[in-house]
Amino acid sequence: MSYRRYSIPTQPAPNSAPHPNRFRVKVRKLKLAELLLREAVHYRLDLPVVLSRPCVYGVFSGPVGGFMPREHLCVGCLRCSVEFPNVVRIHPNPERLGLGDSYLDPDTVDTLLYEAASGRVPVRGAGYAGGFGGDGWDGMWTDMSEIVRPTRDGIHGREYISTEVFLGSRPKFLRFDSFGRSIGERPHGLSLPIPILFDLPPLTARLERALTALVAAAEVLETLVVLPLGLVRERGVQSAAIVPLVEPARAHEMISLGWRPRMVELDGWDPAAFQALVAGLPDTLIGVRLPFGEDLLPLIEQGASAFHLTADYHGRTSAGFVLEAIRSTHSSLVEQGRREQVTLLGSGGIVAAEHVPKAILCGLDAVGIELSPLIALQARLLGEALNPDRAPLELPAFEAAWAKQRLVNLVASWRDQLLEILGAMGLREVRRLRGEMGRAMFQHELEREAFASIPGYGEHHD
Amino acid sequence: MTDRPDVLARITAKHTEALRRGFRAWPEMGFPPPTLGDLRWTPDLILSNWQQAESGKLPGNGLESARGASKGGFDVLEFGFLPEAQWLADPESVDTSLELNRRPYDPSVRIPIPWYGAGMSFGSVSEQVMLSRAMAAERWDTFTSTGEGGYPDSLAPYSRHVITQIATGLFGVREETIQRARIVEIKYAQGAKPGLGGHLLGDKSTLAVARMRESVPWVSLFSPFPFHSVYSVEDHRKHVDWLKTINPSALVVVKVSTPTDIDMVAVGSYHAGAHILQIDGSYGGTGAAPEIAKKNIAMPVELAIPRVHRYLLEEGVRDELVLMASGGIRTADDVAKAVALGADGVVLGTAELVALGCTRCRNCERGRGCPFGLTTTDPELSLLIDPAWGAERISNLYRAMQVRLRTILSRLGLPRLADLRGRTDLLRYRSASNGRKE
Repeated sequence: MSYRRYSIPTQPAPNSAPHPNRFRVKVRKLKLAELLLREAVHYRLDLPVVLSRPCVYGVFSGPVGGFMPREHLCVGCLRCSVEFPNVVRIHPNPERLGLGDSYLDPDTVDTLLYEAASGRVPVRGAGYAGGFGGDGWDGMWTDMSEIVRPTRDGIHGREYISTEVFLGSRPKFLRFDSFGRSIGERPHGLSLPIPILFDLPPLTARLERALTALVAAAEVLETLVVLPLGLVRERGVQSAAIVPLVEPARAHEMISLGWRPRMVELDGWDPAAFQALVAGLPDTLIGVRLPFGEDLLPLIEQGASAFHLTADYHGRTSAGFVLEAIRSTHSSLVEQGRREQVTLLGSGGIVAAEHVPKAILCGLDAVGIELSPLIALQARLLGEALNPDRAPLELPAFEAAWAKQRLVNLVASWRDQLLEILGAMGLREVRRLRGEMGRAMFQHELEREAFASIPGYGEHHD
Repeated sequence: MTDRPDVLARITAKHTEALRRGFRAWPEMGFPPPTLGDLRWTPDLILSNWQQAESGKLPGNGLESARGASKGGFDVLEFGFLPEAQWLADPESVDTSLELNRRPYDPSVRIPIPWYGAGMSFGSVSEQVMLSRAMAAERWDTFTSTGEGGYPDSLAPYSRHVITQIATGLFGVREETIQRARIVEIKYAQGAKPGLGGHLLGDKSTLAVARMRESVPWVSLFSPFPFHSVYSVEDHRKHVDWLKTINPSALVVVKVSTPTDIDMVAVGSYHAGAHILQIDGSYGGTGAAPEIAKKNIAMPVELAIPRVHRYLLEEGVRDELVLMASGGIRTADDVAKAVALGADGVVLGTAELVALGCTRCRNCERGRGCPFGLTTTDPELSLLIDPAWGAERISNLYRAMQVRLRTILSRLGLPRLADLRGRTDLLRYRSASNGRKE
């Protein structure tokens, strides 16, 4: 097989539904008229000077200038407000503040929309503007290397980084006969060119077109989409990208369909159903979907090798926040000497590009995303989105081709951002990132080291 | 705006005047512009910076000028001052100077304030901004750095106060610009985009910028990461030797980011022959960078300083290497906290741009660049900054910062800044608050 470099075909797919701008431009019309009159006198009717506007983005370049500002062009630079404090003020748009929910905030929504529209890595100037750290993902930083590179080729070397991951089980070593043919146990599973798959979308919305787009995008991306078996059969969708989620009671129905997907997920642990699926679908990877916090060892001993562990959409699990749950699952398997035998997929609470490398660094092989793709399609959350059964949202009308491209763009942007992180670390493969805890930095640990000798630190951290 | 130079001059004059009025007016209005600032650079920090840049005096009006609202790092630290009776009687006499060469060889270079200006390249900022910074550096007998975009001829008169930066793209690096510098900086990495190299967007690579960088105009310019000739401390040493061959009397700054092994990197730089190590924390930066890098890669400088300071002490080389911290130093209080955590001094970047009018709107990379004429190469927008005015603003900021730094030191009973280094016992950890005085 010849080498083929994986690339994702991005192209612009601008928002199709209206989206609130970040800013409101409030001009005091009377003050503006006064200003113009005053300037007309001061500059002796030098019209190019009098009529020159303070905005370089065209907010005041409409036919009547500041009397009818083109608010959608405002980027919040505040030059107008600085120049003419009594005439114009820029306010946050309250409509935008209602985007998302308590976990997926308006800034994340805006970022997702940019990524989906452009397929590009968000770039901005002037350093970081957020909180110092925080809970969950925000309390973790990734390492970089001053001198080590993925390769010496290319400008940064990141052009040659592999994001391919293997899902399934592998023998500890391969055996060959005297003719070089593989004998004995062989790897059983599948490879994905990216460590991202589309997970079970919320089932609370009218999702027909979104489902079609998810499947089509997964095909373009050569990844997978997890969908309930019942839904797949009801809609008659067929694709090699689909991973049917099978309730134990429907295991035999799955086998009898004659459909041989690349992967099936068993919804919860049921030894009999698992064994039936393994026997009935010998070429299919049978994964087991469980909430984080379950003891995986007994399941591994019964033959399970691929687990899809889930948190709710806010990343909450019975074992704490999803980041801690991943670390704890990964490290338990390492201690038990089982980590190399199994694949860990995880989903829930992964809503931004930075969460992907962080989740993998903590121990996942690949991540599932469920809410972000729908936000990319301009879904509006109508309350707290917590799980597939409790995620009130509204999807606008859209064209299938547009939706597919938006999802492709989103994943392309996330992959490029993953490459940035890997490149900074000098890693050449995303597989090397998995569980590399020496390359993770946690706020509470670094603060303890840096600040423990400072009076008062102990009072706040006992 | 217009093709006619005379009209352009009149329009520029109108807006320049209006901007300067605004910079004076806003800090006095009693409330900030509704969308100004962010958690790190709060509205109060920006307005108090403008006030200092205007007057050269400590800010007033109840503005919180000491800390931001990021709920971590410098923003949760404060000083445990002595009772007033024990304060030094004459704060003016407090020595804030810093010797930049602690090696037993090479010339002594002492600056009266413990900071100098960070590298900002020609292309990422305008020539007018570079000139403003160089003129202020000359006035204060400190330094500013060229960044990696070359050394505009207009900076040559200030060469005693300009650090020549050599970065991975080697853009605009020439023997004569290395030879004329008292300090030469090798940039391995930068905090805004650790491990990712530099990137000048095509729109900013004008004819003048491209000529300076010896490249093609209107094409994006990437600086590779890292130096493809450096893969070890030994290679690093070779670089320093090469630099010293060109300019034997130059002090060498090594600028790195803050990886988990920053302590090892520091010792490696010491053994490679660096005089100054600049650790650039992940939350700083003035140029455009991927958002994912700014927030997530490498550690904030507040957490890196103590690690490096302690390790250099343990290795017995602390007093031979000057440790400069950068990446999020906003105020004199931040300077003092960085020194108390273990740095010798700091490098300022964004604080200087704020003094020139930056509102932290973070549109540096958009369209024609900064609408205030700072991070732009647009020939019309860059006229908004007059270098003499810019130098005065930065100089005033320095003056106010020095006053505040002396006040802090006198209240701690310390006659010299050097006495504060590593004195974490003088700091207090406080619970996070929103940064604004109640």
